Amino acid sequence: MSETINIRELNDLIASKASFVSLIRSGMDRRIIGQKHLVDSLLIALLCNGHVLLEGVPGLAKTLAIKTLASLVDAKYSRIQFTPDLLPADVIGTLIYSVKNESFEVKKGPIFANFVLADEINRAPAKVQSALLEAMQERQVTIGEETFKLDNPFLVMATQNPIEQEGTYPLPEAQTDRFLLKVVIGYPNKDEEKSIIRQNITSQSSPITPVIKPAEIVEVQKIVEKIYIDEKIENYIVDIVFATREPSKYGLTDLASIISYGASPRASISLALASRAYAFLQGRGYVIPEDVRAVCHDVMRHRIGLSYEAEANNINADEVITAILDKVAVP
Amino acid sequence: MIKKISSLFILFSALFGLQTAEGANVSISAKLDSVNVLMGTLNTLHLEIVENKGSNGRLSLFQQIDRARGYAAVCGDSVELDANFTVDTIELGSGKVQLNYSIPVQAFDSGTYTLPKFVYYVGKDSVVSKSLTFNVYPVNVTAEDQIAPYAPAFEPDGKRWYDWVPDWILDFWWIFIILVLAICAGLYTMRNYNKKVIPFISPKPQPKPWEIALGSLQRLKSRKLWEQGMEKEYFTDLTDILRSYLYERFGINAMEMTTRQIMDKIYESDLKDKKDYVKQILNVADFVKFAKVRPLPADSIAAYENAKKFVEETIPAEKEDSSEKSIKEGGEA
Repeated sequence: MSETINIRELNDLIASKASFVSLIRSGMDRRIIGQKHLVDSLLIALLCNGHVLLEGVPGLAKTLAIKTLASLVDAKYSRIQFTPDLLPADVIGTLIYSVKNESFEVKKGPIFANFVLADEINRAPAKVQSALLEAMQERQVTIGEETFKLDNPFLVMATQNPIEQEGTYPLPEAQTDRFLLKVVIGYPNKDEEKSIIRQNITSQSSPITPVIKPAEIVEVQKIVEKIYIDEKIENYIVDIVFATREPSKYGLTDLASIISYGASPRASISLALASRAYAFLQGRGYVIPEDVRAVCHDVMRHRIGLSYEAEANNINADEVITAILDKVAVP
Repeated sequence: MIKKISSLFILFSALFGLQTAEGANVSISAKLDSVNVLMGTLNTLHLEIVENKGSNGRLSLFQQIDRARGYAAVCGDSVELDANFTVDTIELGSGKVQLNYSIPVQAFDSGTYTLPKFVYYVGKDSVVSKSLTFNVYPVNVTAEDQIAPYAPAFEPDGKRWYDWVPDWILDFWWIFIILVLAICAGLYTMRNYNKKVIPFISPKPQPKPWEIALGSLQRLKSRKLWEQGMEKEYFTDLTDILRSYLYERFGINAMEMTTRQIMDKIYESDLKDKKDYVKQILNVADFVKFAKVRPLPADSIAAYENAKKFVEETIPAEKEDSSEKSIKEGGEA
């Protein structure tokens, strides 16, 4: 079989540069039992320079996951615990008067890191959430009159607790849309739970050795940008997104009353980006429909608005996405 | 004096009247089974008439009976005397007979009712019964009483064929006749003016999935797409034919499935031994369609051959048997 040189070169390049993926996976496995999907989602977000909204009950190694990833990438990590009394300055930083220099000096906030864990993001008021989300989008922060670029790579992993909704400030749809992925994690199985016990009852834990530098991650991000997406795949992505907006046109009449609003164009962009990253993780220089389907739930679940009828019938976004994927023709 | 004459006249008239009845030898007596009944309960009125044999008298009651309703309404329509009464005739000897009428009496309103006197006519003479009074009491219904359901409707005996025809057909039969005439006129017109229109065409048998697939493959081959450098279109059409066949023949919803999902389904099904055909086609097709790969001619030919083999080898056995049979029969002939 003969193939065009670009894809072959890209495949070779990916093969040479993707070795860090297995090292990161094995490094994560040493610290985190199970949660393979969470690890893959973090890698996808890292490779496409996106952010992750994580939903799961407490104690599922959310903090440990991003902390371990930061160690493996040899990157700067910070954690912000969102509380109702948090201020935007606590996140982005502020100006502090220096008596010594007789001038205001910039005190950078925890947002100035490669990996930021925004723990329980829905516990802080809207102005703090907005400050974080703006920084995520713009990748820069203005303190006083000075604008600072944020570090690259820059990955925010925000967590939400699906229970204990009292006294929280749920993220508006426009803001959740800015997260590349919304990952829902569940409990580990019995074997995983046993391994977790064994791992955590000993005080000794093997140290994490970095397997890649942040600068190399930036290089890999550029390779991911080169991954080929055929027009057929673009059409497939568009069909999936349009099926959320006009389900009746795709033979999904039942969903018309279930979906209150469909996914935005940002969903199409995110789906394409995440599919490329997934293809990279599979060691491929091109995207196939399999890649789109693999990331579709994580990309779309927070971008589809469900109606009261859906809530009344206990239908969630994942079921809607599955129905769409089962109906839209694969190229 | 006048008073005396009047009294004598009345006495004379009364004696004459009795004599008339006596002279005719007719008497009538009336009695009820019960003077206290509940609403709706059947009571029986007994009328006993004694007359000369062959007198052919008649009861005034007969004139009051409404034949349509089947009863005679008296006491302001509150009491019903049923038309289905019985009468027995008893020979008394000495040329006399006794007629015993038993007439069902029913009232549906509570109260005290006095039945009118019953008159029996014999020729120009008549005798009158005494009037009867009876009480009708309401039925006490309490919340604890069970209300009996409606009794089932009885099917009338001796139904005719038209009893089974719905009323609306009988009412609008003329519309059907007009419709039939219109259809006949339409068919006649079509037959005369457009010979191509045949009113009753037997539906064409639907082609089988393998017939469709093999036909589509043949057409794809004749288009010579890959030979003209249109490998992407060639593999797109080839996979579409294969996916449609998988759906039509095996119910695998392949049009909405990725390569891996299709292969998983094939591994789960009875098509395991045919997996290599499908795998080669879909894998090469994925490269061509999504990775800008230009396949070698051998790959394109192999994909076509594999698709054809897959279809041919999955034609149901019955079909093969019947085709073999027809070939054998043809050979013998």
